[in-house]
Amino acid sequence: MAVLNRMDWYDLARSTNWTPTYVTEDELFPPQLAGAFGLPQNAWEKYDEPYKQTYPEYVKVQRDKDAGAYSVKAALERSRIFENADPGWKSVMKAHYGAIARGEYAAASAEARMMRFSKAPGMRNMSTLGCLDEIRHGQMQLYFPHEHVSKDRQMDWAFKAYDTNDWAMIAARHFFDDIMMTRDAISVSIMLTFSFETGFTNMQFLGLAADAAEAGDHTFANLISSIQTDESRHAQIGGPALKILIENGQKAEAQKRVDIAVWGAWKLFSVLTGPIMDYYTPLEHRKQSFKEFMEEWIVAQFERALTDMGLELPWYWDIFLKDLSETHHGMHLGSYFWRPTVWWNPAAGVTPAERDWLEEKYPGWNDTWGQCWDVIIDNVVDGNMAMAYPETLPYVCNMCQLPILGTPGKGWNVKDYPLEYKGRLYHFGSEVDRWVFEQEPERYAGHLSIVDRFLAGMIQPMNLEGALAYMNIAPGEMGDDAHNYAWAEVYRALRETRKAG
Amino acid sequence: MALFPLTSNFEGDFVLQLVAVDTENTMDEVAAAAAVHSVGRRVRARPGHILRIRRQGADEFLPRTMKVADSGLKPTETVEVIWQMPHG
Repeated sequence: MAVLNRMDWYDLARSTNWTPTYVTEDELFPPQLAGAFGLPQNAWEKYDEPYKQTYPEYVKVQRDKDAGAYSVKAALERSRIFENADPGWKSVMKAHYGAIARGEYAAASAEARMMRFSKAPGMRNMSTLGCLDEIRHGQMQLYFPHEHVSKDRQMDWAFKAYDTNDWAMIAARHFFDDIMMTRDAISVSIMLTFSFETGFTNMQFLGLAADAAEAGDHTFANLISSIQTDESRHAQIGGPALKILIENGQKAEAQKRVDIAVWGAWKLFSVLTGPIMDYYTPLEHRKQSFKEFMEEWIVAQFERALTDMGLELPWYWDIFLKDLSETHHGMHLGSYFWRPTVWWNPAAGVTPAERDWLEEKYPGWNDTWGQCWDVIIDNVVDGNMAMAYPETLPYVCNMCQLPILGTPGKGWNVKDYPLEYKGRLYHFGSEVDRWVFEQEPERYAGHLSIVDRFLAGMIQPMNLEGALAYMNIAPGEMGDDAHNYAWAEVYRALRETRKAG
Repeated sequence: MALFPLTSNFEGDFVLQLVAVDTENTMDEVAAAAAVHSVGRRVRARPGHILRIRRQGADEFLPRTMKVADSGLKPTETVEVIWQMPHG
């Protein structure tokens, strides 16, 4: 029997829809899950995905791609790349896998919501493939790190992190729960695929792939490049949904979802990708600064994507552009100073040569973040290690769940953005975080940040030991300086030279 | 006498921090408690200066001997801890 050509049946298959007769439309597509925005069924049938693929095509392409990534891994398993890698690079892998692998698996459930509940048949088809993508990404990013678990306990956090109360995971879960686990199908398509994946997974996966290849980690480079090609396909699920919303008078609601998701994604990547690109990746392997990468790959692309769509730039765009030079330096300093509370070993990244690079990329760095680092460096050089660790908690934002920070030293501009709501005092890290809360206070009001939990007596005993136990950080997993402070030798030598002179 | 949490925004530092004080503590004692977590860790001491406390955004410092209980500060409210050259 002859097989029909793909184009002879594709449009019929992708636009096939239900016409319920035994149940109502609302029973078939409960509004809370479908997110129909009050639009009739036929409005959603106009959904036209830009990237069309059939299931047999998907299987064939993915099979080949996965085989490629797995065979690079198999070929390099005996290469001792992990053993010989710079400790800063190992930290990149640990941070990435812990923060991302299980999140990908969770994203399969969000894709599944679009697959079942979206009223747009084309979206259901695309999301079926997107759901399979996310299952595969979860599996691959658990399988790849697994070979290193026997060598390094922190690698176990690839699987473990998502189930813990580590502060970084509370932040990641708060964001992903907000944009993908607790939203209707259409909102998921806007917030997860259009806002988060189009912009920010590009950064984590493209930027990191370039650094991985430079660092000689071809297994990791291949894995995440392969994942990124899937992401760029299923990231296109949200665009056509936005188009329908805008055409049907729902622009304001669509814009709000974009604005909320883009901000949350930015904050998360400022703590995850910013330190990796500007501090952990060995200097000689850095392709671009985090800011340069953001400006080229995220800002420019986003501006184009938003205006092409007929949306506005988020109202806080100027704040965002300014923060590109600032926020991640604070996130790095914070995760370094509170290093016992993370599952990787942060690389300080502040040798004189690295500071020259930071000063070149971020003029004024030495007079601001550098001033804090000067004190840390002196303590390390003097062996005054007690003062190189914290004795209290940083105050974290009730929206992004990350430390509330700003520029220190001569550019000191640190500020709290408080809000009293129903008798409780909330603290936010920016005007935007507070604005997100104000859009739907009851959605967020009940959540307790790690500091709120500490003050509520949920962390016992109320000291570092209690905090580490609460965060599920077992002995041998606690973070410390990636290079065991070897970088401080150059400062020790400089001091000796000065004395001798 | 009761434990009272405040949020310290220390001049020259990069992050807000939780500071546990007592309702009977004076503003000088609040400043000293905040300094423990910033000075010598990420902020250099400034010889010849004292530390003053003010509400975020306020121009005036709270009196040095004022007690937390009398300050009107709310639990976890953010105070700015500012270096000052003593007069005269």
